[in-house]
Amino acid sequence: MIKSIILWLLAILLAPFFSAIILKIKAFFGGKKGPPLLINYYTLIKLFKKGSVYSTSTTLLFKLGPIVSLCSAITVLMFLPIAGCQPIFSFNGDVLFVLYALGLGRFFTITAAMDTASPFEGMGAAREAYFPIICEAATFMILIFFYRLTGELQLSAYFTGSHTLGLWQSAGAPLVFIVFAFFIILLTENSRVPVDDPATHLELTMIHEVMVLDHSGPDLGLIEMGSFCKLFFYSTLVSRLILPFGSNITGLSFGLYIIGLVIVYVAIGVTESAIARYRMDKVPQFVLTSFALAFFATIITMEFIR
Amino acid sequence: MSQFFVSILIILLGGFSAIVLAQHLKSAKFITVFLVCAGCFLGLMDAVTKLVQSGTYVASYKYLNVFSLDFQMDGISAFFLLVIFAISLIASFYSYHYMGHEKNAVKTGANYFFFSILISAMALVVTASNTITLMLSWEIMSLSSFFLVIYNHHLAENRRAGYLYFIFSHVGAMFIFAAFAMMYSYTGNFEFGPMDAIPDAAKILIFIFSFIGFGSKAGVFPFHIWLPHAHPAAPSHISAVMSGVMIKTGIYGIVRMYMLLDFHTPIFGTILIVAGAVSGILGVVYALGQKDLKRLLAYSSVENIGIILIGLGVGMIGVSSGNMPMAVLGFTGGFLHIFNHSIFKSLLFMGAGMVLHKTGTCSIDSLGGLLKRMKITGTAVIIGSLAISGLPLFNGFVGEFLIYMGGFKGIALENSTFIMGIIAIISLAVIGGLALACFTKVIGVVFQGEPRTKAAEDADETGGTMLISMSVLAGACMLIGIFPQLIIQLPIKATVALGLKFDPILFDPILQITKNISFAAMIFAALFLLVTGIRFFLYKGKTITGSGTWGCGFTQPTVKMQYTGSSYASFILDFFSPVAPLEEEHVNITGRFPAKTHYRSQVNDIAELYMNRVIVNPVLFFFDKLRWIQHGDIHLYIGYILLAIILLLFFI
Repeated sequence: MIKSIILWLLAILLAPFFSAIILKIKAFFGGKKGPPLLINYYTLIKLFKKGSVYSTSTTLLFKLGPIVSLCSAITVLMFLPIAGCQPIFSFNGDVLFVLYALGLGRFFTITAAMDTASPFEGMGAAREAYFPIICEAATFMILIFFYRLTGELQLSAYFTGSHTLGLWQSAGAPLVFIVFAFFIILLTENSRVPVDDPATHLELTMIHEVMVLDHSGPDLGLIEMGSFCKLFFYSTLVSRLILPFGSNITGLSFGLYIIGLVIVYVAIGVTESAIARYRMDKVPQFVLTSFALAFFATIITMEFIR
Repeated sequence: MSQFFVSILIILLGGFSAIVLAQHLKSAKFITVFLVCAGCFLGLMDAVTKLVQSGTYVASYKYLNVFSLDFQMDGISAFFLLVIFAISLIASFYSYHYMGHEKNAVKTGANYFFFSILISAMALVVTASNTITLMLSWEIMSLSSFFLVIYNHHLAENRRAGYLYFIFSHVGAMFIFAAFAMMYSYTGNFEFGPMDAIPDAAKILIFIFSFIGFGSKAGVFPFHIWLPHAHPAAPSHISAVMSGVMIKTGIYGIVRMYMLLDFHTPIFGTILIVAGAVSGILGVVYALGQKDLKRLLAYSSVENIGIILIGLGVGMIGVSSGNMPMAVLGFTGGFLHIFNHSIFKSLLFMGAGMVLHKTGTCSIDSLGGLLKRMKITGTAVIIGSLAISGLPLFNGFVGEFLIYMGGFKGIALENSTFIMGIIAIISLAVIGGLALACFTKVIGVVFQGEPRTKAAEDADETGGTMLISMSVLAGACMLIGIFPQLIIQLPIKATVALGLKFDPILFDPILQITKNISFAAMIFAALFLLVTGIRFFLYKGKTITGSGTWGCGFTQPTVKMQYTGSSYASFILDFFSPVAPLEEEHVNITGRFPAKTHYRSQVNDIAELYMNRVIVNPVLFFFDKLRWIQHGDIHLYIGYILLAIILLLFFI
């Protein structure tokens, strides 16, 4: 329990660091030196030191947006098995709670954006409401796959100790599909290229960034923190899937986990450097690919694994 | 059952006094609302005690010495009575100030009169224990609600909605009659007794007929066409009762038939899950496309009926495949969602009623910024929206959670159950996402941003009973969401009353689930307080200034530039365009100095579109050819009746 809490705190503290890896990789591909690896901490400290400017159109919901989105992200981390260890809390069906808690965060992000009366933020909000619908269907398809294999409905049954390795042993081939499906969901849910470009300059083409245009100071810092944690959550899941090996030596399994995380963040960076953002109407097709992959993986288990 | 009948009498007395005292509008309204509330409260207490004691109570009256009117209150009846009386109580309390501006005394009196009849008829429907009593109460319910729908009969649109409702409820009733007639032909009596005499094939047909009949009242796709027309036409407290409670009598009918037939084939569960998935997804897609707030809510009822059907279907599949944990989760989830939906849907309709009351319009794109002007209504609607989107900390989540768990239990089984499980889970996931989009649209466009019209700008909120009703319901949404163990016994008792001999141990996981949900919700709440504390600390001593919204470099924003509800929904509707075709009408802009132009769009309901094409037009054509029969000569009409009876005598 103490160990889990320490890991939870570490996860929150280290999430901004890992996100900087993506920036470094993108800079490498661009032939630049890139910002320091601690850049996100500098940004957060800068934001936390500032005051705020609020639009006169806004209400209390505008201030609730950052709080609830960060809160949902760190709640979700409490149910996440970090480095194959037991999460702080776990119960039968916690996956459903985790997914819906992220939905709660999204609800408040959207309402905070709609609060500003800005057409740009409305546009971003409409997209934020749209793409996760397909993502959610894909995520539940993956859950069906996991349930079919393990008969359990909690994250710790899939991602702790030797459970992940067990998944590979019982259904290795379809699990490759699942890894790719998960990666697509990760890109979509965290507004990365090719779904959304966090570094773009034109408001019309943004999704997540445009929704937080009017947030400033500590509020913006909380939002940034929330998105680092959310990315960390999804990356941990993928990292456990690609490096499922556990070890009795704490240091070793922890090291493997870190390597897995770095691989995932590097993969995000490479994806962002290698391909451009899709046109908005192509995005659903891209996201639907993850659903199709998960669906096929499940169908395969239906016939071959009993 | 005497307490039950006393409460019905008090409610009816309230309705009568509204008519009798109509000339003294103020006092009549006070007496009526008081009596209806008192009657509902008495009935509510009775239902709760009966549900907790889980016995069966019967009463029987002879009517015209031929038919006996039989009533019976078992766990299922008590559960539905609980929902009926609780929501009617709050709705009639709400109506006190809602109907306050009404000048026409007779109209108001008539409205209360039919309202009281509707409440009593709903209560009688769920307690009827033979086919005659059920159909009698059913017809009274349909007719009284018809008169409530045409309350504003001076509008042609409302009259059309009324006729549509009238036709649908009678075509639906015909299907129920057909089902009951089949039952009668095998059992030879009208009782809701054992149905062993009916062969299995006939049982399936009876179930399908009654599913169509009861489903048309419940608003199951594609029999829902009347619902989005009729529900918004009625005054808002009536819409709340119709959408929150009355459509549930259709669900009651389906459940009762399932119990009576006592036949466990996977076909029943499959029908319910498929119909539920289609109603759920299409219902919320059409809701997203609506421009009128009350119509949006009406379509969202179709969606929630879909969720309830998925839950009950999961339960039935569980029973037929012998997986009792799945059955228990599905049924309990379905019943819990019936309870929850009645709370948040009536809350949302009351919120829409307040908006309509104060701004005079329910058109989403002409409102905006209401949260600043209507703080309590706005907050209540936000809570209702969170609940209806099935998000944690609010009650909608609990029911959906149980249904999900039931669906997942089916995943572990063999192929056909596995596929039903997939359909149930994936459609619930899609419905959840779409509902979130739909209700962020409501909040974002109606309550947030800047007012788009003068009416929205001048809105305020007054009307004590309206505000209290909404606050009570919003409080219930949060309380049940955080502490579901408080009421979980009610749907559990209803599930037990299905008479499927569930082992009591099967309910332990459900109790555990509610504890877990409550625990997780409290973690979330604790972290919320923590983050709020951190935020407070970060803002200590900081300068906070106000300014206009950042217009991306544009300095002269107007309220017209805001994102409208239609544009918010357009991305998603585009994806669903094969089932939700968009009809657009606009004049293209030409030349250097374009003239004034306009744009109108409408999302069409395919069921409505095809009903016109496939059913209405051929039927009209056919009957047009038979017009010569109807010539206006009364003598010949009597001749027709005689002829019909003589012909029928040959068949007996």
